[in-house]
Amino acid sequence: MRNSDGMEWTREALTERVYRILREDLLSVGDEFTPTSSLIDAGLDSLAVTQLLLAIEESTGVWVDESLLTEETLASAESLAACVHAQIAHA
Amino acid sequence: MPRSPTPDLPLSGADCFLRAFDSEVRRTAGASHLAQLVLRLGPGFDAGAFAKLLAEVAEVQPILRAPIGRPWGILPPVYRIGKASEAAPPRVEIRDAPRQALDSGGAPPLFAERLNERVDARRGQLVRFDVVRYEAGTAGSDLALTWFHPLFDGSGSERFLRWLDEVARGARAATDLPPSAERPVRADARTRGEQAMRWRGRMHGFGARAPRSLAGPLARTPQRLEVEVTSFSREDTARIVDRARKQAGFLTPMLFYLAASIRAHHAVYQLRGTDPQSFVVPLPVNLRTKGSGGDLFGTHVSLLWFQVFPDACADLDALLTELKAQRLASIKEGMVEAGSAAMDYARWLPQRFYAGMARREFAGELCSFFFGFTDEFLAGMDTFLGAPILNGFHSPSVPPSPGSATIFSIREGRLNATHVRQAGVFSGFELVRFQQRLRADLVGEDA
Repeated sequence: MRNSDGMEWTREALTERVYRILREDLLSVGDEFTPTSSLIDAGLDSLAVTQLLLAIEESTGVWVDESLLTEETLASAESLAACVHAQIAHA
Repeated sequence: MPRSPTPDLPLSGADCFLRAFDSEVRRTAGASHLAQLVLRLGPGFDAGAFAKLLAEVAEVQPILRAPIGRPWGILPPVYRIGKASEAAPPRVEIRDAPRQALDSGGAPPLFAERLNERVDARRGQLVRFDVVRYEAGTAGSDLALTWFHPLFDGSGSERFLRWLDEVARGARAATDLPPSAERPVRADARTRGEQAMRWRGRMHGFGARAPRSLAGPLARTPQRLEVEVTSFSREDTARIVDRARKQAGFLTPMLFYLAASIRAHHAVYQLRGTDPQSFVVPLPVNLRTKGSGGDLFGTHVSLLWFQVFPDACADLDALLTELKAQRLASIKEGMVEAGSAAMDYARWLPQRFYAGMARREFAGELCSFFFGFTDEFLAGMDTFLGAPILNGFHSPSVPPSPGSATIFSIREGRLNATHVRQAGVFSGFELVRFQQRLRADLVGEDA
């Protein structure tokens, strides 16, 4: 899977993408929110997660299976991106 | 220098949507569309001090008693903030009861009676409190916040109590409300119009197999609501929460409770030998970002609508699979935004438009039943005005048709399942069957 620049989605690029979607579109967070911040503590709820998955699908063309979403995968933007990256690798 | 007039505060589309239901309930049942939150408190609650606090708060938060009306009779409804001082302050009624009344378990019958009352929002009758003190409060107190539904949604009512407690403790001034944190709407008027039409199309589609509620199509009936709260043990609740997470998903446990509620209603149809045709149920979606403390007043929800057929109800897992698929498809299709857009039109349309539309599409019904899941009740809050919170739950009113609502919340590791119903809709046998099926699905045991 490639991004809009024709490059392969790296885990770092996905982390940055997920982080930006969360920060700019879905969560009301301040500067203290980082790619390693807890998503649940930052206010991620079921609607925001589904909207995030839709945005990821739009960017990568891959729909992340909701059953993969657990406390561990939703721990931070980084861990969620790792989950997405693993799914892209198998797509 | 003359003071400038206090500006009116417009009702949101969702507020007006609920106000439309008030019009329907007034017309058909002689009551108002109210909601209620109940707290069971331990010793230490000073009802008199609470009444004084509320009077002070109402002085600086005039929305609590602002008459609601349409400027010039036709413009979208507003809270007439400038007229609030002419309205009576919110009532706090205090009653005493013996300790034995506390031992009966449920909330005082007075609280259910409050839900059947008719209030006049045009005169600012928006909120009231009732306190029942046991042994003059030394054995504890029950407190009910009853409100005209557009003033708060369920989450807002909890935020309001949390904020009142902060004001009482001096942690916050009565003028100081937490900041708003509603998800922004990013759509122009044309897009919102298209969204509203899409929502209208979805409702029309449901009509092909219109639901039939247990109350049957609407009859003009005086509202007589019964409220029953089942508090599950901590052991059962741990099991239920685990099942909900595993079977419905880490972030979507509400679908588990919705599925159990549908199957409990379905069991009653089976007992009657009647065909529900389909189950059409709205799921409230909170539009505030989670964890924010703001947006106390007003309704900050959209609705996701589900329709399932009796065949899908035979098995809990199969029903959950269907509900999960519908939820995902609805969000992908933008139905959360479409629901909000459709409700926005309620600001301009006559109050009876929406109920009339629903009853036309659904052969006289509004839906199969009403449902809510509010998760942790006053999470992290142990006391209210110094008294320990022993339990708490929501009990919204429900129109006589569909005549049934289930709402779930969890307080300190114990699930409260509230069933609000119009008296006479369920026979004694049916109620037993309903409760057996609900418990069996929640806990995971044979009915």
